[in-house]
Amino acid sequence: MKAFAHFNAASVEEAVSLLQRYDGKAQVIAGGTDLLGKMKDRILPGYPEALVNIKTIPGLDGIAEKDGLLKVGTLAILEDIAHHPVVREKYSALAQAARRTASPHLREMGTLGGNITQDIRCWYYRNPNNRFPCLRKGGGRCYALAGDNRYHSIFGGSVPEGCVAVHPSDTAPALIALGAKVLTSQRSMAIDEFFQVGVAKTTVLEGHEVVTGVEIPQPAPGSKSAFIKFAFRKSIDFPIVNCAALVQTQGGKVAQARICLNAVFPKPYRAVAAEEAIRGKKLNQANADKAGEAAVAEAEPLSHNAYMVTAAKALVSRALLACSG
Amino acid sequence: MASTEKQRAREMLDNLRFDKYPIPKERIKSIGDREVRRLDGVEKASGKANYTMDVQLPGMLHMRFLTSPHPHAAIKSMDTSKAEALPGVRAVLRYDDPEIQQEEDLGGHGVSPRLPIPLVAHFQGEECGVAIAADSEEIVDEALRLVEVQWEQRPFVLDPLEALASGAPIANPEDFPESNLEVYYEAGRGDVEEGFAESDVVLEFASRRDLHTYVSPERACGVWRWNGDYPEVWCKQQRPHIVKRAVASWFGGIPMNRIELHILYQGASFGGWSQFGWNLAGNYCSAVISRRTNRPVKWSFTRREDFYGGSMDYGAHQYKVGAKKDGTILAVKAESVYANPMWGGQGPVLHLEECTNIPHLYGKRSLAIVNKGPCTAVRCEQLPNTHTLTLVFDHVAGELGLDPIDVALKNDGVHGHDMAWASEEKMKMGFPQTDSLRECIKSGKKAVAWDKKWHKPGTKKLSNGRMHGLGFTWNHEWEDSAGSGEIAMRLERNDGTLRILGMRCDNGVNAETAYCQVAADEMGMKIEDVFYRPHVDTGFFTQTPDSSTNMSVNGFAVRHASRMLKERILKAACAPRAETQRGSYPAFFPDCTPEDLDIADSAIFVKMDPSRRLTLAEFVGPAGDEGPLCFYELYGHERTPFSEPMFSYSYHVQVGAYKGGIRPRFIRQAHFMEVEVDTGTGEISITKVANVNDVGKAINPMACEGQMYGGTYMGIGRALWEEVVHDPVTGVMLNGNLLDYKIATIDDCGPIDTILKESQLGFGPYGLAGIGEDVPTMIPALLGPAVYNAIGVWIDDYPITPQRVLKALGKI
Repeated sequence: MKAFAHFNAASVEEAVSLLQRYDGKAQVIAGGTDLLGKMKDRILPGYPEALVNIKTIPGLDGIAEKDGLLKVGTLAILEDIAHHPVVREKYSALAQAARRTASPHLREMGTLGGNITQDIRCWYYRNPNNRFPCLRKGGGRCYALAGDNRYHSIFGGSVPEGCVAVHPSDTAPALIALGAKVLTSQRSMAIDEFFQVGVAKTTVLEGHEVVTGVEIPQPAPGSKSAFIKFAFRKSIDFPIVNCAALVQTQGGKVAQARICLNAVFPKPYRAVAAEEAIRGKKLNQANADKAGEAAVAEAEPLSHNAYMVTAAKALVSRALLACSG
Repeated sequence: MASTEKQRAREMLDNLRFDKYPIPKERIKSIGDREVRRLDGVEKASGKANYTMDVQLPGMLHMRFLTSPHPHAAIKSMDTSKAEALPGVRAVLRYDDPEIQQEEDLGGHGVSPRLPIPLVAHFQGEECGVAIAADSEEIVDEALRLVEVQWEQRPFVLDPLEALASGAPIANPEDFPESNLEVYYEAGRGDVEEGFAESDVVLEFASRRDLHTYVSPERACGVWRWNGDYPEVWCKQQRPHIVKRAVASWFGGIPMNRIELHILYQGASFGGWSQFGWNLAGNYCSAVISRRTNRPVKWSFTRREDFYGGSMDYGAHQYKVGAKKDGTILAVKAESVYANPMWGGQGPVLHLEECTNIPHLYGKRSLAIVNKGPCTAVRCEQLPNTHTLTLVFDHVAGELGLDPIDVALKNDGVHGHDMAWASEEKMKMGFPQTDSLRECIKSGKKAVAWDKKWHKPGTKKLSNGRMHGLGFTWNHEWEDSAGSGEIAMRLERNDGTLRILGMRCDNGVNAETAYCQVAADEMGMKIEDVFYRPHVDTGFFTQTPDSSTNMSVNGFAVRHASRMLKERILKAACAPRAETQRGSYPAFFPDCTPEDLDIADSAIFVKMDPSRRLTLAEFVGPAGDEGPLCFYELYGHERTPFSEPMFSYSYHVQVGAYKGGIRPRFIRQAHFMEVEVDTGTGEISITKVANVNDVGKAINPMACEGQMYGGTYMGIGRALWEEVVHDPVTGVMLNGNLLDYKIATIDDCGPIDTILKESQLGFGPYGLAGIGEDVPTMIPALLGPAVYNAIGVWIDDYPITPQRVLKALGKI
């Protein structure tokens, strides 16, 4: 690993100021489970000159319900979120997503902020030593399109770059389904607006902006949420496809549903068509299946990943059904 | 016990029949004892065991190779000046260095490079061009990035079938200029066409196995130091004797007795790089750099570089099978294309030849060269055979609507003979009459409730919506009838403990403890008084020509050596010890003959009067401060007992088990797998595995079970997910890391039943046979029949991914 400067920030302000000083040449580090691997493999053309450690900032790892909001600090580790009684009871999708992320070791290291700001998954993008200088690195083309794209986007490339890598976060779709807000050092925004695909970018965060936490509104009465993950190994793996859903039922019918798939598109994919398909309907197998079909109606699988469409359809249906009863 | 030289020699080589020299039952104390702890257990589990990568020597440099970014490319020019100028870089060894120009016996299999640093790369990631040594691995890494290479890229081919098609680019014009077909072999018996003509049904199917690798926990590495003109080498290497022979031939020749070799713990090497010239070139280049810099040099591959070696069952298979309606198989024709095997390998019908009565067999294996890393006998070379046996038997059962267990029993046989013939042979050879396969099946059926749970394919939907499947296969995989090994042992001065001597690689299976158990019981010693650490070059190579055979060879050698040593001890206990100026030292047991004595609990005793006893510690005497056998009379002390040095050695050659050109196999194994298939996602969950292995005799039952657990998770990874993926456009490996290359964990296997049978039908000592490779080779192909039973459609391409499941179900 190449040498770099390392700063322990004592406050968010200090972290921001360090990031400003390095002007794009510094990276924020918390758990480091994604960042250090990327650096070690030198997947990007550049290499950070400095890391700004935010684990040293006090008060950013809280998990607490207050004023009808669940507030989770950016440094809350996934293992704590997964086992938090309030999260498990009322915000099940998030607890389940955190529980299914990576392995116990990584969950003990990985933070919620890191999980939603992690970089995309694509074995071309992440091939060591910048072997494939692809679109997301400012290069000329996407290598996965003509190559082996078994784990890539089923909903086309992101506009305008054409990248078909996937966003692999497990907690992001859960937060989207739960209608969370992301708080940063300079603003707060609905999580739907947080993800953005660009060169060397997965979010709207500016170079010196730091995520400080998320806020999740208490689900309305009659609501239930769930998260389902399809991955290979039980102990560790990124999702092939995952899906989170929040369903509010009234009078035996779905009043409102928020459904989000991930690992199927360069950013989390809110399945709006499925939400519309299930709204006003009874939550049963047939209607859930129809919602699943609606979710993938516009899928455009690549040469190697048609199976992901089938899986996404099944997961949408199952996530909805998991919210029943 | 053998008491004459002639008898002893006979015992040493007599393995054509059932063990004639058993140990009396009352002496068996640690053999088969589940309480015996493995010798390396605490050391390894606590992280204290030293591996080759752990070796740190004063002033040691670190060395790595440049690797090719292209799958087929030659170096046109190379500028290393920037790397040479980097502070901390101590040596840059280029391909055009005069010392690297000559071809050497690097000690690898097959088409391994003979030049220590090749100029042309035949796969992406191949070590070539230059080796750099520096003060740290980080500096080497930076230096390698500063090497500027002009590559001449050449056309490449990645798929073995495409490689054999006309017009395919030549993958390795340096070694195979004419075509990508290296060679082909044919084998079999009878006349398959005749068999097909007599058959009620003839079925044909094709199967593929994608490339998988081995991923040793420790990456390939080695350390070289010159002590004056003579080398000291630490190797990650499963065949120390071959390494030493190769090293001795380098640099104009080094006498064998001046090479110091250390083979530390290997962990699980799975065959690994140790059979490839690239690996051995690491040692060679370290030697050159070590001499030039006068520093020890450690070379290594990175974790990613470790992924480029593959298993030699990668390829495509075409099958044609003829059978009677009752499940009697009459003919099997199997034609296989394997990619990049570093040697001819086996199969694809070898196991059908050995373990069935099928009259007509034809197998052809063609070896194709492609621009991927080398493949060899890693995680066992028997995979092509096990794959064939399982698929052939289960396809026949499926086609005819029969229970696969009935089909197995109907065709079980020995080299084309039926079980009646086998029975007669067993009698002639002194073996018990047990029918091993029936016994294994009986236990396995019970373990998985086969009679209750097995159903017609594609008919059982579970309450969770998934399809239930149960699969079965059987075989006698490998190996109790080949190999040779030598071993020595000595009683230590002062405490009379026994030390076994012999260099072999520790490939993780805990054979060392089993040797100690054999020695302890044969000698009459407590297990805690026997020790073996095989890392040191004692001059005895306790090893076999490869690493597949273990107890059935070395177990014999240990037993012989133990019996000889015991005989010697008892003889010495009855004989006068010495006449010296100060007096005579009479025998310990002057009134006895060796036959009157025995050893138990590490003490010699008189059989007629066990109260007369002498511990082995008392017997061997001290290693005193005035010489090894000093007795303290000089200082007025009483005379201390002593004896001559107690040492023995032995060897064993197991090839005698071939009878009339064949090796009759009487031992069997049976494996059962229960699965659930999610027809929505294509996901397969393995919910139970039952392994039933007849090992003849389990010396260390927990070690056997360890192999069954390890083999299961390893086989399941290969069945479900493991596949080295290369980009079809650039030929670059895409998943050379432990996240994207998916090895199963124990969590993915469901409960694993480990059932040991002890029929004593093996050709090893006490009637044992091996187990190490038996499970990981059988489990991968077993997934196919289990999934077929679940969904009613065959998937014959491995790994059986969700993509393949959904395709078979017509969903994509």
